[in-house]
Parts: sequence; C-alpha cells; structure tokens
Amino acid sequence: MNEYTLNFSSSSEDNGKFKLLELPPELCKLVESAINSNTSPSLMIKGQPNEDAVLCTADKTYTVRSIVLSNSMVVATPPAASSSEDSEDSIEIRDQLNEILELVPTVPKLHKLESLLRGQEYDDGDIDDMYDDDEQRPTKRWRYTYEDVSGSIQASEVELQRGLKERRILTLNGQLRPLRPSYLTTILELLLNTLVSLSLPHTAAPVDRLVDTLAQAYDIQRDVSTQVMSWFGTILSDSWDMDVDAVVKEVGLGLLRPHKDGPIAEAEFLQKWRKAVGDTFEARVSLQLLSGNYLSDRSLTQEVVQLTYFPSSALPVEPAARFTDLFLTRDRWTADDLAPFLADIVVDSKDRDKLLLKYARAVTGSEGVWYMARAKYNR
Amino acid sequence: MIIPINVQPVGSTSRTFPPQLAQFGTDELVLIDLQGFLDVEGDKQGQAIGKLRVDDGTKPTLLIGHHLLEGKLVNLPKPLAVMRRASVTDAEDMTGHGSPERSASTSWNIVAVVKRKMVFSTRPMPMVGRVTPVSSDGRPPKSRG
Repeated sequence: MNEYTLNFSSSSEDNGKFKLLELPPELCKLVESAINSNTSPSLMIKGQPNEDAVLCTADKTYTVRSIVLSNSMVVATPPAASSSEDSEDSIEIRDQLNEILELVPTVPKLHKLESLLRGQEYDDGDIDDMYDDDEQRPTKRWRYTYEDVSGSIQASEVELQRGLKERRILTLNGQLRPLRPSYLTTILELLLNTLVSLSLPHTAAPVDRLVDTLAQAYDIQRDVSTQVMSWFGTILSDSWDMDVDAVVKEVGLGLLRPHKDGPIAEAEFLQKWRKAVGDTFEARVSLQLLSGNYLSDRSLTQEVVQLTYFPSSALPVEPAARFTDLFLTRDRWTADDLAPFLADIVVDSKDRDKLLLKYARAVTGSEGVWYMARAKYNR
Repeated sequence: MIIPINVQPVGSTSRTFPPQLAQFGTDELVLIDLQGFLDVEGDKQGQAIGKLRVDDGTKPTLLIGHHLLEGKLVNLPKPLAVMRRASVTDAEDMTGHGSPERSASTSWNIVAVVKRKMVFSTRPMPMVGRVTPVSSDGRPPKSRG
C-alpha cells in the first residue's frame, strides 16, 4: 500500500494549537532523552509581556525568535483512533503553520536583579528583622523571595543562583537581600584575621568556630557569615575550603571601589591590598584578579600607572550602548584590554568577535590591533 | 510569566504511520512543506484534500484535484520540536504534580521531535484527462508522463 488519502482533521480543535520550535543540538539531546525516559525536560518560556520571550533549560537561556515562512508547514498525523473507516491509509492534517520559533543562546538577563532589589540592601547594624514582629511597625516593607525573582528574571535556575551568588545577594528568612559591598569587605577581612589569629587552616576551617567567633566578637549574624563563606569557597560537612583568589579579589575590589573618580597609583594600591589580605595571602595579590573592574593609565608626566575603578557590571547591557560607553571612556582599545569589559554580555569569543565586527573598527597599527568607534560624528 | 514546556509524545493517537510514511518524520507525525496554503470552501472538518503516494522508496507525490505535485525527502538543518498547546483539561491534570500557580493557564507539550520533512517545492503539473476522483477506487494516476 503506497497511496494515502489526505484529510483535514475531523475536528477543528487543533487549529492554531501547534508550534514548531527549532532545537539546537544540545537542546535536542535534552528533549529526546526526556522523551525516552518520560521525564520532564524542565523547559520553560519566561518573560513579561513587554520583554522578548526567552526559553530556559535548567542551566541555559535562549532568546526565542519567530521566523516567518513563505511556505506552510502542514502538521500531519495518523487519524485519531476513534475515527473508523479505512483509517489505515489516511493522513490527517492537524494544523498548518507559517512560523518557526528559532532559539539563540543568550546571556541570562540577570541585570534586572539590581533594579528589582534596589533599596533592599543588608548592611551592618541592620535591625530590620528585629522590628518585623513589632506591632508598632505595621507597614512591613515588601521583600522579594527567591520564587518572586525566579518568575520575573529571564534566566535559568542554575544561572539565577550563580547570579545571586555573584551579585552577593543573601537569602535571609527567605528574603533576598543584596549585601552592601563595604560590609562584605569588612566580613572578609574579619574572616581572614580570624583564620590567622586562631591559626586555622584556610583549606579546612571549621565553619562553626568561625561563625561563632564572628557572631560573638563582631556581632555578625550567623546566617550572613555562613552564606558569605559559601560564596567564597566550598563548605563540606562543617569544613570551609576557602577560595583564596575569590577572597583576595573581593578585598581588592573593596579597596578599589572608592577610586572611581580619583585614580590611585598602582604601586600604592597593591601595597594597600597586600596589607589588607595579610602575610599569608599577599602572594596571591595580582591585578589580573580585577580584570574587567579597572582601567590603568600611564600618565604622561610621571612614570606612574594610575588605576581607576571601572566595573563592567555598571556598564549598559545593550551592546550598542556598551560600546558607546566604552569608546567615550577611551578612544581606542587593544583587544586584550577590551575583552574583560565585554565578557558579561557575550556567550563566547565567537559572539564577541561578532559584536566587535558590528560596533567597532579594527585598525592595525605598529603596536598591534586597536579597536575604535565605528563612526565619528564630531570631527 | 512562566510558560512550562513538557514532553508528551503523542497521546491522542494510538495509531502510527506505516514505515513508508514514518521515514518522512516520526511514527506519529510528519511535516509537509507546501508552497501555499491548503483550504477548502465551507466546513473544513474531515474534508478530503487529495491523494498522497510514495513511490520508489522516498518519492512522494501529491494529487490535489487536477494538479500533481512532486515532492522529496529533506533533512532539516536543525531538528524541530512540534509543540501543541495543552488544553485546559491537560493543564488541570498537570497541577496535580506541578505547581499550580506557575502553570497559569497556558502550557505547551512537545509531542514529537522531527528531523526530516516532506517538501513539495515544484509547480503543480496539470493532470488532464487522467484524473482519478478521490472517492473512486480507480487506477491511481501515473506520476510520470
């Protein structure tokens, strides 16, 4: 039998009910294994009505783009089991489509976290929690929980949790509270000091003892110090393996942060930084750790390299606006200098090259390749 | 807003395509790429459109009225997931093991993943005088003249 009758479906309930989703290879594997094992692939479309929809897997985010087809795609299936006559050789048309949804890997839209949680910072001497049960303060401020944020941030679970960690956002009583950077630096310096004064090994420090000491001597909430420790290392059954580089970096950031407008000499900064992390860790101090957070300038008059705090996290997320900002800051960049300031808006180096091609002009000089703004309007 | 996407390999049809057709898609679903749109006058439900033949393994032909279309098997550059919007009753079923407030009103089910499609990209050839009416059981039209 090689002839089949093509019919419209005997009911119109399926019209407009179908969509075609183009699957990148890794996503296809995920979906197929979910089909084979009959489990949920935990895929979801996320977004507010005014945002471009994204599709999130457990650990990746894709933007969803609609591609209009000039042809129509007919979704054909065998006839429903209920229909009786000669269904052996008939095909039913369930729907006709003129659109395919394409998925493009994208960076998670985590920057919304900052605006969402603005004004919710947790700081030294935060006594808010004490007042929460107090009858005298009936108007409790609105706080976001993880669930609230997970619903409105276009990012996968894994990316969102990493984002919370990278942005140093605490979860206190189920509420998300960004930790004020200056307080974080204080806690880290206290942790380093405590490690030294109690002569504890930084690869296996007893969590309870550190938390106790910080709570008793410096009045730091146990919840807070435990979470800070989990950001800067791994906690395995009451033993903290400190991520030295991460701690050293954060302390360095804390020292650099005030120098947004008034630059600091590199040598002076490094000296301050070494002092802050103490003898044990001063060998780990390296400007490399702060890449993407500072600009270094060699001033013409003196042979001194000046550092300015310039965090890429404060730059616009939109590529066009980011490049405008970068080229306003500096006329020309080397690829190595520029890369750290693009790292958070690109998926990989290929993606970065694509942006550079679009928004920057490469000029090969005697010292190598310089990137400059594409158009100069005033000159 | 969160719209969950689940996998639900075809539940409504228990029947499957014969291998000859399944090679163009899956056992349960085939995508047919047509230039233009299929439509009939009046009520579409259950209406016959034409005859689909598969000759020589992978040569599909589609006879619609007096027009014959020749098609071919095309591998998709990227696999396509065919999604179907879950009906209200499906959504209610889901709340049993999912979180009810999240699934809201809409959710989608991936009913199949297809890697090939049947493409009819040529102009239709008029079949004068040798058309077999759809209802009759006469000789099928020759695909080649």
